[in-house]
Amino acid sequence: MTTEATPPAAKAGPRALARQRRRDSAVRFWKRYRTHRAGLLGLAALALFALVALTAPLTVGSDVSSVTGAPGSPMEPPSGEFPLGTDRFGRDLLGLLVWGSRVSLLVGLLAAVLSVAIGALVGITAGHFHGAYATVMMRITDWFLVMPTLVLAIALATVMSRSLGTIVLAIGVTSWPTTARLVRAQTLAVEARPYIERAKALGGGHWHIMSRHVLPNVMPLVLAQTTLMISSSVLAEATLAFLGLGDPTLVSWGGLLQDAREAGAVSSGDWWYLVPPGIAIALVALAFTLCGRAVESVLNPRLGVAR
Amino acid sequence: MNTQDQHGRGRPNPGRGLSLRRPRLIAASGAAALALSAGLATPLNPAPRQAEAADGKKVLTVAVAQSVDSLSPFLATRLVSTSLHRLLYEYLTNYDPKDARAIPGLATKWTPSADKLTWTYTIRSDSTWSDGKQATAEDAAWTFNKMMTDDGAATANGSFVANFRKVTAPSPTELVIELKKPQATMTALDVPIVPRHVWEKVTDFSEFNNDKDFPVVGNGPFVLTGYKPDSYVRLEPNKDFWRGAPKFDELVFKYYKDGDAAVAALQKGEVSFVSGLTPAQSAALENQENVKVNDAPGRRFYALATNPGARSKNGERFGDGHPSLLDQRVRHALFMAVDRKTIVDRVFQGHAVEGEGYIPPRFSQYFWKPSASQELAYDPAKAAQLLDEAGYKKNGDGKRVGKDGKPITYRVLCHATDPNDKAVGQYLDEWWGKLGIGVTLNCLDNVTDPWLAGQYDLAFDGWSVNPDPDFVLSIHTCAALPATPEETGATDNFICDKKYDDLYSRQLAEYDPAKRADIVKQMESRLYDTGYMNVMAYPNAVEAYRTDQIKSIRTMPEDAGNIYGQDGYWSWWSAVPADSGESSGGSGSTGVVIGVAAGVVVLAGAGVFLAMRRRSTAEDRE
Repeated sequence: MTTEATPPAAKAGPRALARQRRRDSAVRFWKRYRTHRAGLLGLAALALFALVALTAPLTVGSDVSSVTGAPGSPMEPPSGEFPLGTDRFGRDLLGLLVWGSRVSLLVGLLAAVLSVAIGALVGITAGHFHGAYATVMMRITDWFLVMPTLVLAIALATVMSRSLGTIVLAIGVTSWPTTARLVRAQTLAVEARPYIERAKALGGGHWHIMSRHVLPNVMPLVLAQTTLMISSSVLAEATLAFLGLGDPTLVSWGGLLQDAREAGAVSSGDWWYLVPPGIAIALVALAFTLCGRAVESVLNPRLGVAR
Repeated sequence: MNTQDQHGRGRPNPGRGLSLRRPRLIAASGAAALALSAGLATPLNPAPRQAEAADGKKVLTVAVAQSVDSLSPFLATRLVSTSLHRLLYEYLTNYDPKDARAIPGLATKWTPSADKLTWTYTIRSDSTWSDGKQATAEDAAWTFNKMMTDDGAATANGSFVANFRKVTAPSPTELVIELKKPQATMTALDVPIVPRHVWEKVTDFSEFNNDKDFPVVGNGPFVLTGYKPDSYVRLEPNKDFWRGAPKFDELVFKYYKDGDAAVAALQKGEVSFVSGLTPAQSAALENQENVKVNDAPGRRFYALATNPGARSKNGERFGDGHPSLLDQRVRHALFMAVDRKTIVDRVFQGHAVEGEGYIPPRFSQYFWKPSASQELAYDPAKAAQLLDEAGYKKNGDGKRVGKDGKPITYRVLCHATDPNDKAVGQYLDEWWGKLGIGVTLNCLDNVTDPWLAGQYDLAFDGWSVNPDPDFVLSIHTCAALPATPEETGATDNFICDKKYDDLYSRQLAEYDPAKRADIVKQMESRLYDTGYMNVMAYPNAVEAYRTDQIKSIRTMPEDAGNIYGQDGYWSWWSAVPADSGESSGGSGSTGVVIGVAAGVVVLAGAGVFLAMRRRSTAEDRE
C-alpha cells in the first residue's frame, strides 16, 4: 500500500515525499486501529507489561532471584509482607513474577523475530525464484510444517547447552514455516503485478525487486505475523521451561511453573505458586493476539471488522 | 551389594506434576490440557488392575518412577531392580528387620574355618523353586561359579566373588566357599541365588535380561508374572514360601514418572504407596484422611563429588575435569563455602540430616563424624583464603583465574529428574559466585554418559548404604576403576587413593566387628580429607501409604525405618490388606468419565458453532 501513488508535490525531493507518504499511512493505520476496541485493550496491556519488565531493575532488582538472600520461609501463603506468598526457597513470588517477565518477554520477542525473519526470507526467495530452488525450499518448509513443533524444539533444546540463546533458537527455527507459506503467497501475488514487470524491463535485478518492491508490500503481513508469533513464542518458552529445558538459574514464568510442579505445589494445593505465572502467561499471550488480530484486520480489510 | 542407585540414577523421583484434584488451579495456570491428557492416559494405559479388582483380589499397588535397568540379577544395579530381586530370589542370608544383623535366608547356618579361609553354609531343605524343583546348594554353587568364570555374569555383583578361590556343593544342603584372603562380608553376600536348571540355558549373560518368559522361576516371597518397561511390574505371592506366603493377592509396581501424578493417584486410592515425597507433598498428605506419612531417617547420603581426573586401570587419563580441582585446597575451599544447614533447612525443609561422614548416622556402628580440627565447616572467608593460597587469585572483575589465565567456571552435573539437585545447584551458584567462581548447572536426564566419560567438574551423587558398608566403600578403590577408558568400571567417580585402598583391604579381612568398624571409620576419615566426596546431607525417606488399603506394613529398622528400598523383603512380604478394601477407586474413573464428557461437549459445541457459521455464510459461498 505504501507504493500506491500519491500526487507528486513538485517542490519536495523524493526522500521527503516518501517520508510524508509514510507518515500519512501511519496516521491512517492508527485511525483504523483505534476503531478496534479489543486491539486497544491488548495494546494497553502490552504497554503495561513492557513498563513492568523495563522498570523491574528499579522496582524489584536482581536480588529478588537470590536464593541465599531469600527473605521468607519456604512456601508461605500470601500475606501482607508477601502479597503472592513465597516459593520453595522462601523468595517473594510477586518480585519473581515481575523479574520473570523480563526473560519471558525477551525470549518471546527474540524468538518471534527470528522465526519471522527466517520465514520472510524463505517465503520471499521461494516466491521470487521459481523452479528448483522454490521447490526445494517449499518442500523443506512442508517438512518443518508437518513436524510437531514442540517435539522438534525439545529435541533441539536437549542437544544444545542450556541457555537463553538455545531456547530462542529452538523456538525460532521450528516455528517459521507458516510465515514462510504466507509470505510466499503474498510474494507471488505482488510479483504478478505489472509494475514488477516494468521494473524488470528497466533493468531491476533480483535483489532490487525483492528488497525494493516485494519486501515493502509483504511487510504489513510480516508485521501482523510477528505480533501473533510473539504470543505463541511466549507460550513455547513457558512450555519448554515447564518441561525443565530452560536454564534453571534464570527466573521466567514457565520456570516458576516448573519449580512449583517440582516442589509438589499442585498436589499440596499451594495455588499461589502456580496461578500468578499462569495468568501472566495467558494475559501476555492474549494481549499480543488481540493486537495482532487488530493489525491484521486493519491491513487486510477483507477480513472484516468482526474479527 | 547393589541396592544403591548408581550416580543417583536410582534416586526415587521426587514429586512433580499435576493433580486432577484441583482443576481450577490447573486451568488457571494454563495447564488444563496437560492435566486432561494425564487423566485420559490412565485408562488407556495397559496397566494391570488397580487397588482391588472386581473379583475381590487384594492388590497392593506401589508407585515407582525409576526405570528397571535389567531383571537379570547378574546385571541389575538400580534400586528398583535390586529391590525386586529381593522379592524374587532368596539370598544366602537376609538382614534382621530390627537391627540389620545377618539372619538365615537360603542358608540356615554358616561357619568359618579356623584359618578364616573356608566358609561352610547349610542350605535349607524347605525352599522350592516356583516350578516345583528343590532349591539346593548346587544352585548356589553354580551361581557363584558362573560369576567367577563369566565376566558378563560378574557385571553387577562381581566384587563379592573377586576373592573366591573355589565354590563347591558337596551335598544338596552344604555349600563350601574357599577364599583367597579372609573376607568380612561373607554373611552379607547380597547375591540372588538363581535356579541352575533355568539359567544354564542362558548363553550370553551380558545380554540376557530375564524379561521374556513369565512367570519367572524364583524362590522368594513373590513370583514375577508380568513386566512392561516403564509401565508396570506385576508379582504374585509364592504360596510355598518357607517363611510364610505374603498376604496380598498381587503386588504391582506401577510407573508414575511424575511425582505429583503419583501423589494424586494415592489421594484417589489408585495406588497404595508412594515414596520420595517433597516437603510440600508430605505436609499436604499429613492432613489427608486414610493416608499415613512415614518420615524416617534415610539410608542414603547426598553428596557433591569432584572429578579427581578420570583415569583407567591401565593408567590412561581421559575426560576433561578442571585441573584446579586436582588441588586438595581448592576442593576443601569449595566445600567450606557450602552451608549444609541451609541445604537441610531450605531444600529438604527439615526432612534430612546435615551431612558429615560418608555413612549415614542410621548405621551407628559405622557412622563417623569429623573431629573439630578436621571438619570443613562453613566458612566462606577461610575458603577464599585457601583459594588465594592455592594460587587462584581474583582478577579485576572479581573472578578467580585458573592457571591457564581464564576465569574458573565449574560444570556441575545434575539430574534433571531431581528437583533437589537444581535447588542446591542454585545455592552453589551463589555461594561459589561470592568466592569468584562461576557455576554452570548441567542438568541432564541421562547423566551417565558424561559421567562415565569423565566430562564433568563436579556432580551431585548419592548412594543407598547397606547394613554392611563394603559395597559403598569398594566403589572408591583403585580396583574399581575401568580397565580402559572405553570400559565401564564399578568406580563411582574415579577416586584412586593408596592409603584408602590399604584400609579397604584391611577392613575386608577383619572378622572382628569392632575392629572392622574402626578401620571403616578411618576410611571415612581419609575420604573426607581428600575432599573428593563431600556429603551435604542424609535425606530422609519420606513415603506415604493408604491405611484403608494397607492395614499394617513393616518398616526397617522396625522403629523409624523406611518402607521402599529396604535391605530385605520385609515391607511387601509383611503388608496386611485392610478389611474394608478400597472405597474410592471409582473416583478415578469418574474423573475420567467427566473429562471425556467435557471433551465431547466441547467438541460438539465447536461442531455446532462451525455448522452455524457455515450456514450463515452460505449465501457468500459459491
